[in-house]
Amino acid sequence: MTTATVRTGTRPVFWVALGLLAVVLLALPLILRSDSRLNIAILVLVYAALAQAWNLLGGFAGQISLGNAAFFGLGAYTSTILFSRWEVTPWLGMLGGALVAAVFAVIIGYPVFRLGGHYFAIATIAMAEIVLTVFNDWEFVGGAVGLLIPFARVDGRPADSWYYLQFNQHKEPYYYIALALVVLVTAVTIGVSRSKVGYYLRAIKNDQQAARALGVHVLRYKLIAIALSAAFSAIVGTFYAQYLLYIDPETTMRLELSVLIALVAILGGVGTVAGPLIGAAVLIPAAELTRSQLGGTGNAVDLILYGGLIILISIFQPNGLMGLVERVRRRGRGRPLTPPSDEEALAREEAPLLGTYEEERG
Amino acid sequence: MDHERAHLEGVLGGRLTRRGMLRLLAAGLSVPTMSLLAACGEASVGDDGGGAAPTATTAGGATATRAPSGSTPAATPGGAGGAAPSGPIRIGVILPLSGVAASVGIDEKAALELAVKIVNEATPDVALPLAATAGLPNLGGAKVELIFADSQGKAEVGQSEAERLITQEKVVALFGCYQSAVTKTASAVAERAGIPFMNGESSSPALTESGYRWFFRTSPHDGDFSKAIMAFIRAMADEKGADVKTVSLLYEDTDFGVNSATALKAEAEAHGLQVVGEVKYKANTTSLTSEVQTLRSQGADVLAPASYTNDAILTIETAKQLGYLPKMIVAQDAGYSDPAFIEGVGAAFAEGIATRSAFSIDITEIKPVAAKVNELYKQATGKNMHDVPARGFTAMMVLLDAINRAGSTEPEAIRQALEATDLGPDDTIMPWKGVKFDEKHQNILGTGVIVQIRNGEYRTVYPFDVATVEPTFPLQPWDQRGS
Repeated sequence: MTTATVRTGTRPVFWVALGLLAVVLLALPLILRSDSRLNIAILVLVYAALAQAWNLLGGFAGQISLGNAAFFGLGAYTSTILFSRWEVTPWLGMLGGALVAAVFAVIIGYPVFRLGGHYFAIATIAMAEIVLTVFNDWEFVGGAVGLLIPFARVDGRPADSWYYLQFNQHKEPYYYIALALVVLVTAVTIGVSRSKVGYYLRAIKNDQQAARALGVHVLRYKLIAIALSAAFSAIVGTFYAQYLLYIDPETTMRLELSVLIALVAILGGVGTVAGPLIGAAVLIPAAELTRSQLGGTGNAVDLILYGGLIILISIFQPNGLMGLVERVRRRGRGRPLTPPSDEEALAREEAPLLGTYEEERG
Repeated sequence: MDHERAHLEGVLGGRLTRRGMLRLLAAGLSVPTMSLLAACGEASVGDDGGGAAPTATTAGGATATRAPSGSTPAATPGGAGGAAPSGPIRIGVILPLSGVAASVGIDEKAALELAVKIVNEATPDVALPLAATAGLPNLGGAKVELIFADSQGKAEVGQSEAERLITQEKVVALFGCYQSAVTKTASAVAERAGIPFMNGESSSPALTESGYRWFFRTSPHDGDFSKAIMAFIRAMADEKGADVKTVSLLYEDTDFGVNSATALKAEAEAHGLQVVGEVKYKANTTSLTSEVQTLRSQGADVLAPASYTNDAILTIETAKQLGYLPKMIVAQDAGYSDPAFIEGVGAAFAEGIATRSAFSIDITEIKPVAAKVNELYKQATGKNMHDVPARGFTAMMVLLDAINRAGSTEPEAIRQALEATDLGPDDTIMPWKGVKFDEKHQNILGTGVIVQIRNGEYRTVYPFDVATVEPTFPLQPWDQRGS
């Protein structure tokens, strides 16, 4: 049900909407006209890209990972170490990080994919915690103290530099790079979802045994999914490190970050192309705005509101915000909204948040 | 109800389901939520004396700002400097107001509000710079307003809030952020934007070592604190006849513990003490049995631990069980200077344990201005000032002094005034020689003190000239202490 993706691509109205969206996104820095609003936009794009990368594994292949922060952190660390020790441009570091994370993911994935359902999710938590602990204790990578990324300076002042992937005077380049990353990972997602691999992954998600019986090499396609997911997470990690200019294991690899990545994708709509993007566009500004408006009081009202929003979405949109979009679209087409049949209603009531991988075990 | 039901049926295409009802409920809930959000558009908690009345009520009627006490009519700035801004001088403060360190952050927030109150109102009975006058005299009596932001103790949130405070709230300087990791990302934002960043409570040496142009720190860092610890042990041996030559280190595995251990090792060597062993453990662990056994087998004269509160309590509990007793315990602040530590292990077993600190409440006995400030703090919060709030208070006073001397809110003018800061021993509430920044913007006149737990209270024992009691030596055996 949630795998309905870009089939609407043939209709002109879709292309017009997409074109408008592209214009708005490209012109956004002009519309926002403020660094702090642009900062929120950049964070939205960062989490959209991370959730989209998660979606490749969690959405299409149905393998719920709660350890994607490890890949993100590996990307951040690889480029930062290459840059701060040997002055390698973070652009190369980005590719290096993607490679390191992908190789690491395959090495981890090989044994871990033998575990199904909940056990896979637990194993990814353990994997990320191990990476976190190793980085905390590893002197060479700065240990728990973390790494400060030196400023690109001109005449002693922090300056913009494409070579160093640092924009200390203008935020716009950060925004456009982040936008490009989202477009890239989304394009790959669309490509995968339409390709043979996408169909195999969905088959694996729906019924692993059946897929295997039909001759799908289950492990190989899961490994492809996790390698892609890890590589893109790592690329975003490099970008974010250059944005923050300081990384430590806690900031880049903690469990909470892994959960947030999964949360954005799940609340947006698992296994859909637009879901993670919508999830990021709703959740990240919600977190930022509630905190900025109410966090200063010190009574944590902002966290209560943010948590409440998540609970409301998960209760009323168990299929994610994409479910809402689908409904609006169906209504827009003038079709009467038929109430779900009893069976459908029952299925939906029983489908939990992570229902997609429950099915696999059934 | 009938009308609503009819409307609902229309919406849901003719059938009212339970889910539909729930959805309506959700819509009903979300409306007040949204209006609450909108109502809090101006949630700055300013302790200004009324310079700019904080926008308080809105259509929703929700009050977003805490009314400052003792508001005076707006003082119109101008006249004096010419560069005086209209409206209050806004300073952005980032602190952990939620998360594990929230209690410390909230205590510090109260101390900062007190500092601003003392500056904004004429408080002649507090003998500190800027207290006697109302507002900043060189800026035509302009008031100061603090805009607080919550870091949640996370580095990336610190970055985001720093961005917002600078561009949205138009603050002239940033302040904070307690945890060193948060201070690192937030100060990078200030460095980019070119506005001053004042820090009083982060101890990571890297903050000043990276040579930022806009970052200033009033408080000693881990290196200075470690120097105080080793100097104390050395002085105990040389001047008080204590027989101590060897040290064991016990430290947790985060930024704080690791930095501390590195600094302690270097300082031990510099003070002619021998580090015979070091034991690193995982922070927030549930057992320290093997660690304490290792320490016992090392048999050092002194244990120098760096731990947060829970781990500190566990260390002492385990030492009691295993009968591990060094001659001295001299801790690296954190857990050991938390009153909850004394409560956790019991006053009898905490007796005689020493820790470094920057401020200790008994300083009020020898420094009247500290007593006066503590009295005001106690009026506002109901508790005594402790280390972190006192450091924050001091840093804020230093920043405001610099803004006043700059006579302007131009970032570069404030930066130069900060660099020219030269405060003496009587200008702060700390037991320091004063405040003066070196070329890396680290205060070179700040020192740590060593406090010892005596009858359930922290008493200053070192440096000897500011001590309020004589240090005791050695530690009493655990089984000879009353429960």
